[in-house]
Amino acid sequence: MRLLLLLLSLWPPALAQEGPPPDLSPEVFRIARELRCPVCQGESAAESNSGVAVEMRRLIAEMLEEGKTAAEIKAFFVERYGEWILYEPPRRGVTLWVWVLPVVGLFLLGLGLFAYFRPRRPLPKELLEEAERRLKEPPA
Amino acid sequence: MRGWLWVLVVAFLAGLFWWGMQRNPRELPSVLAKERRPAPDFTLPLLPPYRAEWGETFRLGDHLGKRPIVLSFWASWCYPACYEEAPVLEAAWRKHKDRVLFVGVNTQDKEPEALRFIAQFGLTFPQVFDPRGRVGVDYGMYGVPETFFIDGEGRVYARRAGAIDEATLEGYLKELRP
Repeated sequence: MRLLLLLLSLWPPALAQEGPPPDLSPEVFRIARELRCPVCQGESAAESNSGVAVEMRRLIAEMLEEGKTAAEIKAFFVERYGEWILYEPPRRGVTLWVWVLPVVGLFLLGLGLFAYFRPRRPLPKELLEEAERRLKEPPA
Repeated sequence: MRGWLWVLVVAFLAGLFWWGMQRNPRELPSVLAKERRPAPDFTLPLLPPYRAEWGETFRLGDHLGKRPIVLSFWASWCYPACYEEAPVLEAAWRKHKDRVLFVGVNTQDKEPEALRFIAQFGLTFPQVFDPRGRVGVDYGMYGVPETFFIDGEGRVYARRAGAIDEATLEGYLKELRP
């Protein structure tokens, strides 16, 4: 019983750790998830606890309070860091290849597999008959 | 024909791999330096040891366009890189102080620890305090230490990520010579 009470008392804080800290709105994290953390490897500004990422989240919160839209906030960071800061590369210019190449690769792979496994065309009838005839011939 | 196609594909992939391996991961893109944009202005409080000479606050805009500026972002917790470059920066400042301004931006740090760092290396060039790291974001900074070179016209000339060594620093200063 005591154990159960202990578990129950631990339950709400454990749940509370799931979401974002209470001082920042989920909208802040939604925008931060689309931005790269400059000092990290493969982490967004929403996940990282590095100083720059914390400051980025704080800036996003401030800009949201000022009434700026998500697009304007992202443009603010692109202006300073370039398009590199966007977690998903934009679907235009050079970075369009990042989106197109996997599809092209899959298409080529499918084409190759089809060419490899496609049913072979049956041999012409006269050739088959000739083969049959030669098989039946007694060896010379 | 098919054999040649395979050779071509493998050669392309090998070329792509070779090109990727030749790239320097320290050469991080700086929009400001690439487009030679005007250096973002800021006003920050100076750390206590520099107030007698430079005043309570430091506004970069007051110095832009007058002479080249070396802007160094650092923090006391950035070990060992910031500790390696601090004596290099101080020596260069003493050598070039009559024609180049050096400014240190203490970033995301605590004041007592920043002051201890300054005392340890006897830094004499002005040091401003930016506990939030707001100015770093305006410069598109990745992480400390990072050095920005601003030319005599007040435009960002180059950015160097990581601890700067004497030869690199002198090289940039030579290029910036008015």
